[in-house]
Amino acid sequence: MVSSGQSAAPSFAAWAGSVAELCDVVDRLTPVAASLGVADPSVAAWHGALYGKLRPQVSREPLLVAAVCGGTNTGKSLITNSLVGSGISRSTPEAARTLHPVASLARGVAARTDLAALFPGFRPVAWRSEADAVDVAAADVLVWREDSGGEQPERLVVLDTPDIDGTLRENWHRAELVRNAADVIVAVLTQQKYNDAAVRDFFAAAAAAGKTVIVVFNMVDWPRQRERIAGWLATFAAETGVAAAAVYAGPHDFDAAEAGRITLHPLPELTPGGVEVPLAERLATGDFDRIKRQAMAGAMRVVADPAQGLAGWLDAIDRAAAGWRDAQRLLEREGRVQVELPSPPREIVWDEVWTWLEPRRSAVDLVVSSGYRTIGWGVSWAAHRLGVGRTAAERKEDFAATELEALKRALADFIDRLDDACRRDDRLGRLLGPRLATADRKAWYADLERRHAALPLVSEDYRTFVRAELDRFAAANPGMVKAVLAGLTVGSVVRPVMTLALFSAGAAAVPAAAGVLHHVLDFGVTVAAPLAGEGAVAAASQGIRPLIERLFAGWSAERGRILAETLHNVVLGDGVEEIGRLASAGSRPELVRARHLLVECSRECG
Amino acid sequence: MDTPTGSTSSTPAAEPDFAAFDLLVEALGRWAPSGPAWPPARRVKSEWEGVAPRLDKARLELSRVLVVGVVGGTGTGKSTLVNALAGSEVSTAGDVARPTTINPVVVAARDVDVSWLPLDVMQARLVRSDSPAVANIVLVDCPDPDTQATAGTPSAESSKPSAANRNRDLLEAVLPACDVLLLVSTAQKYRSWIVAREVATFAPGRPLLFVQTHASRDPDIRDDWRKELESQGFDVPRIFRIDGVEAAARMAAGLEPEPGFRDLVAAIDGELAGRAARRVRRTGALDLAAWFTRQARTDLAASGELVAALATGVNAERSRLEAILARSISETLRTNRSAWQRLIADDVVARWHGGPFASFLHVIAALGSLWSRVRPGTGVVGRLLAGQSVSGTARDGGWKAVEELGLPAGEVEQSRSVLAGLAARAGMQEPLVGRARLDDATASAATAALVDRAGAWLSAGIDRLVVERRARVGRTAFHWLFEVLFSTLLVTVLVRAGWNFFHGNLWEGKPVSGIGFLEEAIVWVILWGLLLRWLIFALVRLGLDRDIQGLVGSVASSRLVDPLLADFAVAAAAASTWIDEGTRLGVEADRLASGCGEMPGLGRLRRPGT
Repeated sequence: MVSSGQSAAPSFAAWAGSVAELCDVVDRLTPVAASLGVADPSVAAWHGALYGKLRPQVSREPLLVAAVCGGTNTGKSLITNSLVGSGISRSTPEAARTLHPVASLARGVAARTDLAALFPGFRPVAWRSEADAVDVAAADVLVWREDSGGEQPERLVVLDTPDIDGTLRENWHRAELVRNAADVIVAVLTQQKYNDAAVRDFFAAAAAAGKTVIVVFNMVDWPRQRERIAGWLATFAAETGVAAAAVYAGPHDFDAAEAGRITLHPLPELTPGGVEVPLAERLATGDFDRIKRQAMAGAMRVVADPAQGLAGWLDAIDRAAAGWRDAQRLLEREGRVQVELPSPPREIVWDEVWTWLEPRRSAVDLVVSSGYRTIGWGVSWAAHRLGVGRTAAERKEDFAATELEALKRALADFIDRLDDACRRDDRLGRLLGPRLATADRKAWYADLERRHAALPLVSEDYRTFVRAELDRFAAANPGMVKAVLAGLTVGSVVRPVMTLALFSAGAAAVPAAAGVLHHVLDFGVTVAAPLAGEGAVAAASQGIRPLIERLFAGWSAERGRILAETLHNVVLGDGVEEIGRLASAGSRPELVRARHLLVECSRECG
Repeated sequence: MDTPTGSTSSTPAAEPDFAAFDLLVEALGRWAPSGPAWPPARRVKSEWEGVAPRLDKARLELSRVLVVGVVGGTGTGKSTLVNALAGSEVSTAGDVARPTTINPVVVAARDVDVSWLPLDVMQARLVRSDSPAVANIVLVDCPDPDTQATAGTPSAESSKPSAANRNRDLLEAVLPACDVLLLVSTAQKYRSWIVAREVATFAPGRPLLFVQTHASRDPDIRDDWRKELESQGFDVPRIFRIDGVEAAARMAAGLEPEPGFRDLVAAIDGELAGRAARRVRRTGALDLAAWFTRQARTDLAASGELVAALATGVNAERSRLEAILARSISETLRTNRSAWQRLIADDVVARWHGGPFASFLHVIAALGSLWSRVRPGTGVVGRLLAGQSVSGTARDGGWKAVEELGLPAGEVEQSRSVLAGLAARAGMQEPLVGRARLDDATASAATAALVDRAGAWLSAGIDRLVVERRARVGRTAFHWLFEVLFSTLLVTVLVRAGWNFFHGNLWEGKPVSGIGFLEEAIVWVILWGLLLRWLIFALVRLGLDRDIQGLVGSVASSRLVDPLLADFAVAAAAASTWIDEGTRLGVEADRLASGCGEMPGLGRLRRPGT
């Protein structure tokens, strides 16, 4: 037997870098694609060619991989054994017994080759007996054995593979992994199976990826059916696109098979060139470099296919991201609730203002105003005793209860709207639907109640905010503090109305409060400016009005924040961020880079 | 399903219980389409629509001959076997091209009427045969399932010859007409995935015969095939092993058939012809019904738990809302002491007539009613206590009236939102159940119902309390005791005044003490009257708080908040009743299926494969 020298090995060096980077980029995009709902690429032909063929083989010693493939019980193991000259894979009369690929290597190859990298998806294990291939306890192993006779060409690897049409679908998958790595496929066909859809699909993929295919028609009623073979082969070629490099026939001889013997008759009339060479010799003496280059180029062709290849997958990512942008817009439009808070007890803001004013007032002022306050207190006490008024504490209690009601209603409304949005958009339904359906909604309300109970009517944050606002105002309008004083009569407070919305950009809509009150990530809290003490404020000069508005707006925003936090932390979790991330996936740099690398790889491949 | 069937189940070889089976099919026919508008129910319904015609057919066409479909992968020798059974080449067989058989071939004896077979739907060719092997059955040579392109193969490949191959579609059009499947396989194809998938789809309710062909060339794989079939859920009583080519040659030559083929012909004759046909059809139908109910039960098992969770949730939320309502009503009733008092006073006063004390009370009551006109009762409870009607208030008020009762809309929406979540988990959506926020029409109907119920319940409760309390003071003797007590002072005053006038003034000539004494006396009389009135009311008020508590405790039993959660409660109850009925029918189907006669030579699909 002749073996091609190392020196003749084709050089893929320039190409190797681009392929490796392309794989990296695809790896980074794969989880993104999965979360976008794009079909799993690992079942696509381009993925198999890229990861099973190009990446493992572009930078390694160019071994020539020949795989024996076919349907259940067609004699694959028998043919493999006859090719490598000894029984490495058990042959049985029962179907679908070969569960693991078995590789025969030339001596010394295992030591210098990373077989796990060469055959991705498999764990290489050394051969112990021919029963290894039928071991039901092992999973995803590739059994290897070095040729004991020293006859096998140095660069040739011959594999027996599991079936491609049986009831165990894992076998199909393992055979596909081996096929992807192979340069030469020995297609074992029978007259029962050569036109089965599963068999056709398997070999059509091999032909599309530029593999060299040698066809063996096994279990032929020899020689009676010899003249039938041409017709079978023509059908097979038309269906799969396989141009057989050579054709052989194996007679149906059960007794010989039981004894482990098989004779393969070359069919020169169907073989290009018409030469009669035994199968083992043909494998050993082929033009390895040409076959190898052809298989690599074929794999690249599969990857570069504009519709079925990698580009198609990138397009699908673009389309999915665009779909998510629509979903995001829908959510922004629909996920918007109006909360009508009850009128706040008017002291809450005024008390803070009074506290701020206290050290700034003259003695006379203080006496007068404390007189007013005493009288006011007396009046409200009397009213309360008569049952026509409520005390300040009771008013605060009433307010807290009514406010919680309003927040609960808003939460219920919001959940309804989310349900609607999920029903109208499949993507939202998939992402948020399970969350909405399986979560314990009682916990959401409990969370809202907890947050509401934990937020005092006037928080430290709000005090700081009011003081800062008043300080700023006093510094800007030194003469107006008196006017403020004059304006601070008891004023009525208009019902604050807030809109809570899901904003993709996290836009904050309460400028006054933005500096002090935290803003919940993706929630805008907009407050329709509530007006306080209108009559009084209108009497004062223009400068006060915006100040008062801001003071009340800041307070309302802080109340609304409770609901926003519950929505964000408990109801939606990271759902909104996730949607934002998905919607922006289309502009990821990896997509551009992948397209660029794809062009580069195709060019370097030649 | 009350037909006594105990005796049949004890004898394994007995005929299936026909009457019970007919009742079962009828019950299933009523049950399957009657589920709520709910995805699991829709799945069951559509599954039933595939099964029902077959069950009907089994009942109506009991005496027809069995249709035996010969199925298997291409090249396994289906046509060769059909030719051997038919005794002549009725269907093209061979190795020239795959697939060989495109259009199905139906083989029937000359005297068998096959007008009921939908030959056009099956795109089949009818061939008559005199062979004794097909004298009592109709044999169908089916297309193969494995040469048609798999779904999802790109259309760009339409130039290939297989693009026109519709054999699997044809097979799926033929198999519905078959009663029995004759599954043919070879050493190469007995583990074919695509054949296994097609057979699994059509095997429920269709007894099977298994045949390994190519006996003269292939090894005997029957033991391994049996294992494979059993792992797919089949009962495999026996597998025949024949060589179709040889059998056909011997039949043509008029020779004695080989043993494997003879066994197969004998089995067809014994298991599928004549009286056996009725049993096979019945058993197949019963298997099918049992299969359908088992699938339905498996599908509904998970849904059943979720429906139960919804029902539990409805109860929990109802209790929560009732507690809120009860707390608030109790608070209102307790704080309206004056209203209670007036209510009971008015009642007592209205019943006491005659006597100075009664007149005194009437006067006080008249003055009191002036005050109540100034400050009428507020809220539903207030109006009830003030003796006003509440019906009709909800219609214009809606939520307002409910909130006045003390049930805030926010709490109701919270409950409904929680339940909507549980309903969504069970797959229930609008319109089966509503949303968290009730739409206006539903809301006003539900709140009106709630207020009406609350009004009826409260006024009944208040009336009861009032009646009980009136009984304490309502006795005539009691009335007269107070009249006497009151009159004593009055009489004393009058006597004293008379004494002063007649004895003191006229007799002793003292000056009349004037109007001063009378003024003083009137004040004392009024005070005395008020004291007595207070005594009566104290007696009446005794234990009022406890009784209010008792009244409020009956909120749960009066189902006040039901109208607000009715959609969820109704949906959960309907689904659960429906599932329970399905379970009951499934148990019945299993009982009938396990009790009916065995078919010793025929295989059956018992359960889904692994």
